[in-house]
Amino acid sequence: MVSVASDSLLSDELLHHLMAVGHVDVLVGVPTLNNASTIRSVVKAVHQSFARYFPRDRTVLINSDGGSDDGTPNMVRQHGSTDDTDTVTVSHSLRTVHRISTPYHGVPGKGNALRQIMTAAELTQARAVAILNADVTGITAEGIAALVRPVRDQQYDYVAPVYQRHPLDGPLVTQLIRPLMRAAYGWQVREPVAPEFGCSSRFITHCLEQDVWDTELGRVGIDLWVTGEALARGFRSCQAGLTPHPPGPPRASFGELFEQVVRSSFDCLERHAPYWLERNGSEPMAVVSPPPPTPVEPPTVAGSRLTEAFARDIENLRSVLEYILSAETLSTLERVASRQGAHLRFPDELWVSTVYEFLLAYRSGVMRRDHVVQALAPLYLGRTGSFLRQYSGAPEEVVEEALESLCRDFERSKPDLIERWNKSLR
Amino acid sequence: MAQMIANAIRQAGTNFVDSLAVFLPRMVTTLAIIIVGWLIAMLLRTLVRGLLGWLRINVAAERFGVAALLRTADLPPADALIGATVFWLVWIGFLISGIDVLGFESLQGLLESFWAFVPRLLLAVIILIIGLVVANFAWRATLLAAVNARVPSPRLLSGAVRWLILILAGAMALEQIAVARSVVLTAFAIAFGALSLAVAIAFGIGGGGIAKRILEHQFPEQQRSSADEISHL
Repeated sequence: MVSVASDSLLSDELLHHLMAVGHVDVLVGVPTLNNASTIRSVVKAVHQSFARYFPRDRTVLINSDGGSDDGTPNMVRQHGSTDDTDTVTVSHSLRTVHRISTPYHGVPGKGNALRQIMTAAELTQARAVAILNADVTGITAEGIAALVRPVRDQQYDYVAPVYQRHPLDGPLVTQLIRPLMRAAYGWQVREPVAPEFGCSSRFITHCLEQDVWDTELGRVGIDLWVTGEALARGFRSCQAGLTPHPPGPPRASFGELFEQVVRSSFDCLERHAPYWLERNGSEPMAVVSPPPPTPVEPPTVAGSRLTEAFARDIENLRSVLEYILSAETLSTLERVASRQGAHLRFPDELWVSTVYEFLLAYRSGVMRRDHVVQALAPLYLGRTGSFLRQYSGAPEEVVEEALESLCRDFERSKPDLIERWNKSLR
Repeated sequence: MAQMIANAIRQAGTNFVDSLAVFLPRMVTTLAIIIVGWLIAMLLRTLVRGLLGWLRINVAAERFGVAALLRTADLPPADALIGATVFWLVWIGFLISGIDVLGFESLQGLLESFWAFVPRLLLAVIILIIGLVVANFAWRATLLAAVNARVPSPRLLSGAVRWLILILAGAMALEQIAVARSVVLTAFAIAFGALSLAVAIAFGIGGGGIAKRILEHQFPEQQRSSADEISHL
């Protein structure tokens, strides 16, 4: 069944291309915007993956470009003619490997690109789809196969990636998004904000029917929404290991990134509230292929650099925080900030109540929502700095255990969150 | 002579009784208007408060920071304040209507003046409310942006923004109700000019570091903050 949206989302040129391709087994989508420095390695990995792991399948690579002015779409189109000898090193695909690069129309953002790719996947009746991140160079043919195979061979509907990385890396995920999503949705997903994932045609049809695409969440938080949607709507999900990703140059400042990610997670929780309000505890999510064992380095930043302004920030933001936090949480925060000074220790329980109270304030609209999220940023930096300093130099297992303990604290406090959430509905 | 005096007294008595006959019904009418007006004003206040409660005006006032300012000024919550304003406007209207019925020449035209004043007063109140909302929004936005950008003295900066907007709104409201128009305008021009000059001088003398940090924030590739040193995702 082809969505009605395909008429307006797919240009005539793209439709012609897709008709020439016909039905496909494996579709790999790569949303891009000025990725000239990294796109070659991504396309190369896709070709290697098609040739090595899906030689008998009908495959297509679709690049949905948001208007790059650095020649990214040309690199995708020309890759085969110039690099094929490098690309297909082990075996050759027995079928034609189709490669389509197309601009998408409408509001810039990954949401529109993903929507176009999903619409194309629905039109070509792709059995398995993998969405890749064009910002990184570390993606491998094995990684792409790891995202596709559980869908193609094991009837999973959604495959989230698991990266091999140091537990102190990615603190916005480990300190905030992972424990929050795990406690809410009741599934232990390691990378809920990952830009890569695999999915089935059933899941794609479901996603295209949702009304998220024209919202702010659809524009900037689509990765999180896809994860949340798979968990909340009961799609069969699993995790697959990918190689470590050397992070590309940051596309946004910390402030922009923080606001986008936290707003998206809060918006997701609001949309999926009917599901998660009924759930308690959490279940592990199957890891169908563990990430390849590769040594990883801890981040080099000193935690004290992040906490040095914490006490001052709390003092400066008091008049805003008193609208968001309960008197008890605020006074505990102030006590922590004043007593510890440069040796700040931000306890897990305090961090959990802080995050939950921010979520409740975001939902009840005590002030503009972007202001609520902006007020959380200095607190997150304080918490992250405190955690980094406490565990820098500690063995990875110890850090993992601390992160697991934080997740359990989030789960333990969830009944209180549910009670206050329901109370604010009345 | 006695007859003349008696006639005069009789005439005066007749006049008094005639005047009383004219005045008493007016007096009763006036009292009735005032009492009915009071009842109507009370009813309207209750209705307005009920409607505002249903519209959750106090929540909106909290959200836009107006409630905090009302508390600081020792004023009642937004719904009670608007209800009281409606009450007094309606009752004063009835009061003046009632006094007008008495027919005192010196008070003639008071009612017209009052009703001519009400729209300007309402406009002034609306300007003040908008000013309060904008001032609080700008204050919070400035405070959060300044804290997150590590600008020194964020509270001073955001407070200055808030008071500038409040002073501007206050001056516009007073100008609207024509209270000492020239004095208000002159005072405002002097105060605003002095404040701007003071800010400019203070920034010029002591704000070199702030300007440097703002520029550094604008060009992050040259100087990244500690928050940008790690990969958060």
